[in-house]
Amino acid sequence: MKKVAIASLLFAANLLAISHLEVAKKNDKVMSGFEDAKSTMTMTLINAKGQTRVRTMRSKSLELDGGDKSLMEFLTPADVKGTKFLNYEHALKDDDQWLYLPALKRVKRISSKNKSGAFMGSEFSYEDVSSFNIDKYDYKEEEAPTSTLEGKEVYVVERIPNYKYSGYTKQISYVDTKTFLTLQVDYYDRKKSLLKTSYFSDYKMISEVYRTGKIHMKNFQNSKESILVWQDETIKNGLSSKDFHKRALKK
Amino acid sequence: MKKLLSLALLGSSLFAEVQTEGYVGLDSQIYSQKDSKHSSSLTLEQQLKLTYEKGDFSSALEVFAQEDYTDISNKKNNDRSFVRINEVYAQYEFEEDRILLGKNIRFWGALEVNNLVDTFNIQDGRNDPTRTDKIGAYNFEYTHYLEESEFSLITKFYEQKRKMSASTYMYSTLQEGENLNNSLDSEKSLYRPNIYLTYNGSLNDEYAIDYAFIYQNGYDSQRYSTKSGSTYTEHVYLVNKFMTYNTLVVDSTLYKIEFAYADVIDDNTVSDYINLGLGVEHTLEHLEDGSEIGLIGEYYYYNTLNDDKLSDIDLAQSFQNDLFLGLRYSLNDVSDSSAVGGIILDTQYNEQNYYVEYESRFFDTFKVKVDARYIEPSTSHNTVFAKQGRQHRFGFNISYHF
Repeated sequence: MKKVAIASLLFAANLLAISHLEVAKKNDKVMSGFEDAKSTMTMTLINAKGQTRVRTMRSKSLELDGGDKSLMEFLTPADVKGTKFLNYEHALKDDDQWLYLPALKRVKRISSKNKSGAFMGSEFSYEDVSSFNIDKYDYKEEEAPTSTLEGKEVYVVERIPNYKYSGYTKQISYVDTKTFLTLQVDYYDRKKSLLKTSYFSDYKMISEVYRTGKIHMKNFQNSKESILVWQDETIKNGLSSKDFHKRALKK
Repeated sequence: MKKLLSLALLGSSLFAEVQTEGYVGLDSQIYSQKDSKHSSSLTLEQQLKLTYEKGDFSSALEVFAQEDYTDISNKKNNDRSFVRINEVYAQYEFEEDRILLGKNIRFWGALEVNNLVDTFNIQDGRNDPTRTDKIGAYNFEYTHYLEESEFSLITKFYEQKRKMSASTYMYSTLQEGENLNNSLDSEKSLYRPNIYLTYNGSLNDEYAIDYAFIYQNGYDSQRYSTKSGSTYTEHVYLVNKFMTYNTLVVDSTLYKIEFAYADVIDDNTVSDYINLGLGVEHTLEHLEDGSEIGLIGEYYYYNTLNDDKLSDIDLAQSFQNDLFLGLRYSLNDVSDSSAVGGIILDTQYNEQNYYVEYESRFFDTFKVKVDARYIEPSTSHNTVFAKQGRQHRFGFNISYHF
């Protein structure tokens, strides 16, 4: 009986024993295949005093091998309504980014290095809100350790951003051992100090693909928080590159 | 009865798909320079935009109105109160093409302070020249989209007259007793169409470049005035004009160029000319709390190609050999607050224009903007600024957005 128990434990341990890279690949697999997505996003900004501001955006994105394309239109606050942000993401080089300013009817090319810059005054950076792509990071070859997070067994995966202008030196992601969904990510700044942590929740299964429902970002250095919620999300809508042509900015 | 009900249902369904947005604002300035002009201005502004979108069809109507305090009080009128339709157009998107018909506003350019190729719409002469206040132009546009670029043929239907505020308004170029003739002088009919061919796109391979080329055959955006007695008359003339504007992105730095060459067709008093603008904009990121600093440098050059014709001063060109150095500080706070400061140096006529602006938002619906400006005009040449004299200004603008 003891032998069976030990064998079962070893078998279970062996099942869990996979490398950081393997965990990332499985994580990537459960989140990939959405082809394209449309949603409304609500972002709540919370300052150190607990005061809140709410921003809403309409978003659509296109899943591509070399990097996703996305278009965001700001709905509130009212003075920036109609402002649009078009992003062609690249895993290892600068993104291509344009901003449409409706008051001036101007399409403005913007400095693409700012994928590490703050996204709409929030604690998220552009690289935080972009889709997960395995090529964006370097992973250790060794086994990923496991731990427990809020009662769930998780892999603790360390990843180093490959993008040379990333705002982070290291990220630690906590990935559910059963679903391979990310539950939490710790971000370390350029001084290698813990900068912020994002908490992922409200995952939805849409057409057999997992989509993130909510990310709560806490910045430990300035005590600010931001919560991003995706609503009414649909995937596989039949969008193509034409929907992300610069023409979409002025439409 | 059934027909009425159907119409009512159609009407309510259309109304349900109409989006509205706009603002109500109060704009005020205090000036140091007086003479025969008011030393302050107070203007109430309202803007309403209605947009309707159904599938590939969309249309828009934007109406703007302003009331100048002096026009409704018993002071000397500034003639700055009006209602104006900024835009009214309909457009349809095909798979690879787009058509647009109506009155609209366009933006062409890459630089931050002076867009010398942004010539499609004229600026309203009744407002603060430091802000963008374009008048929509009636036109037809056909655009064909390629993979990374687009080609457009635009026909502007007629050349618009420019209205000017009364001489009592600080920014009026008219002096006491002077006025602007209500006509616009030209050799050909003002209804002669303006033709624009534009081609623009992006390269995203080794270098990230946005490029645009424009050919225009029609009335030039540059105008000149003649004076008879106390009355000025504005003149327009035909040109063949080539314009381009481009942006190159290298890491955190944008390199920009705008260029225009005008070949004058039907006016012997105006010379062919070239206009060049060069710019660099570098962003410093990862500052305290995610804030950013943008460092901007721009240079503008204008030159007539025939010395025996109207000069840049006659043509009221204020960016003929000027350098702009500026700084933009974005605080990255919940109010999207930012501060901008800069200096425009006229290296030819020794003029300086200093300014600083701050804008922010509160209660998510109110936007506030304050600015201070100081202009030191030329003492040796009769430039636009020299005519207005040395000037200090403080401005305040608050608006409610919905």
